[in-house]
Amino acid sequence: MAEDFHSEIYRNGTMATESKIKDIAPDERLDVCARQIITRYFHEMMSYKEGAKEGTDIGFVHDMRVTSRRLRAAMDNFADCFPKRSPFKKHYKKIKTITRTLGAVRDLDVLIVRFQNELVNLTEMERADLQRLIEHLQQKRKDAREPMLTLFEELEETGFETEFLEFFRSQPHRTARYH
Amino acid sequence: MAKAQKIIGVAPLRSYQENACIILPQRLEEVYTWEPFIRDETKREELHNMRISIKRLRYTMELFRVVYQKGCRSSVVSRPLKESSVKSGTSLTENYSADSQYAEFLAVVVDLQEILGDIHDADVVLEVLADWTSQSGNSGRRIEVPAGIATLIARTQETRKADYETFLEKWDQLSAAGFKQKVLSFLLS
Repeated sequence: MAEDFHSEIYRNGTMATESKIKDIAPDERLDVCARQIITRYFHEMMSYKEGAKEGTDIGFVHDMRVTSRRLRAAMDNFADCFPKRSPFKKHYKKIKTITRTLGAVRDLDVLIVRFQNELVNLTEMERADLQRLIEHLQQKRKDAREPMLTLFEELEETGFETEFLEFFRSQPHRTARYH
Repeated sequence: MAKAQKIIGVAPLRSYQENACIILPQRLEEVYTWEPFIRDETKREELHNMRISIKRLRYTMELFRVVYQKGCRSSVVSRPLKESSVKSGTSLTENYSADSQYAEFLAVVVDLQEILGDIHDADVVLEVLADWTSQSGNSGRRIEVPAGIATLIARTQETRKADYETFLEKWDQLSAAGFKQKVLSFLLS
């Protein structure tokens, strides 16, 4: 299935926002701001993990994925603020894995909701056709949640959160030399 | 999916504000690398990549919005992008705050992202319906598309066509209004 469904089906009509970065000082050094922004997005992303794990409200997976994308956009833009020989690349790859794994679940959530909404516009016979597809997708969703749950377990077991935050919270050197 | 283009010239030791002028124009240019493909509606992958680049631009604009908010940057621009956005009775040459202008640019970017998102969603739905049809058909026999699935395919194709036309109209309007140049001039002013 093509990745990255766009449809806007949110948890209680909300979505992850840009709100976490409003107090950044524009005249502050970029390498300092980059660390602040990345850690804030990271905290926001991880705050949706328990809801995503639980699985009854599809908005949590959506919010976690959207925030992981914002985080990656920030990391793409600010990559040069971190020394080449640092764990930056490793952390970036892990965030990318998070986005991709969540995406597999999210795409199915959106398809299921979309097709369920279509049911009312169909005849009884047509509804039966679509219902079979919905059941098939619900099974696929169950399957797609497994790698996501495994990934969450792995993040917890390996102390990824602590490691990530330790790295991005560390202060840049006053006379840092970058790439 | 296309990777994010590497940003050149980022200056970690210089201010956040100064780096906005380095990063934002490059993210904008990245979007326009997909422009040559948009007239061909079968170029799904390229349209998808354009959407991803637009999303990246949006998130980057949101990151740097603070730079253009009141009190952070004194620049004002002489006129807004669209006449329709000017409240009635105000002059086109009236000073327009950098924050409002930036918000307007951002709204355009979000709008483009939305419409390309709708097109992509339709493509995904069509792909899923086609897969389902071929999967549920008996091998060696002509595949009969179940009535409910056929109805959905037809509806989705119509929606996709309408969305694609809307996207092109919007894109042409923006090009005629010099959107890209206006954003670049604003960012570099």
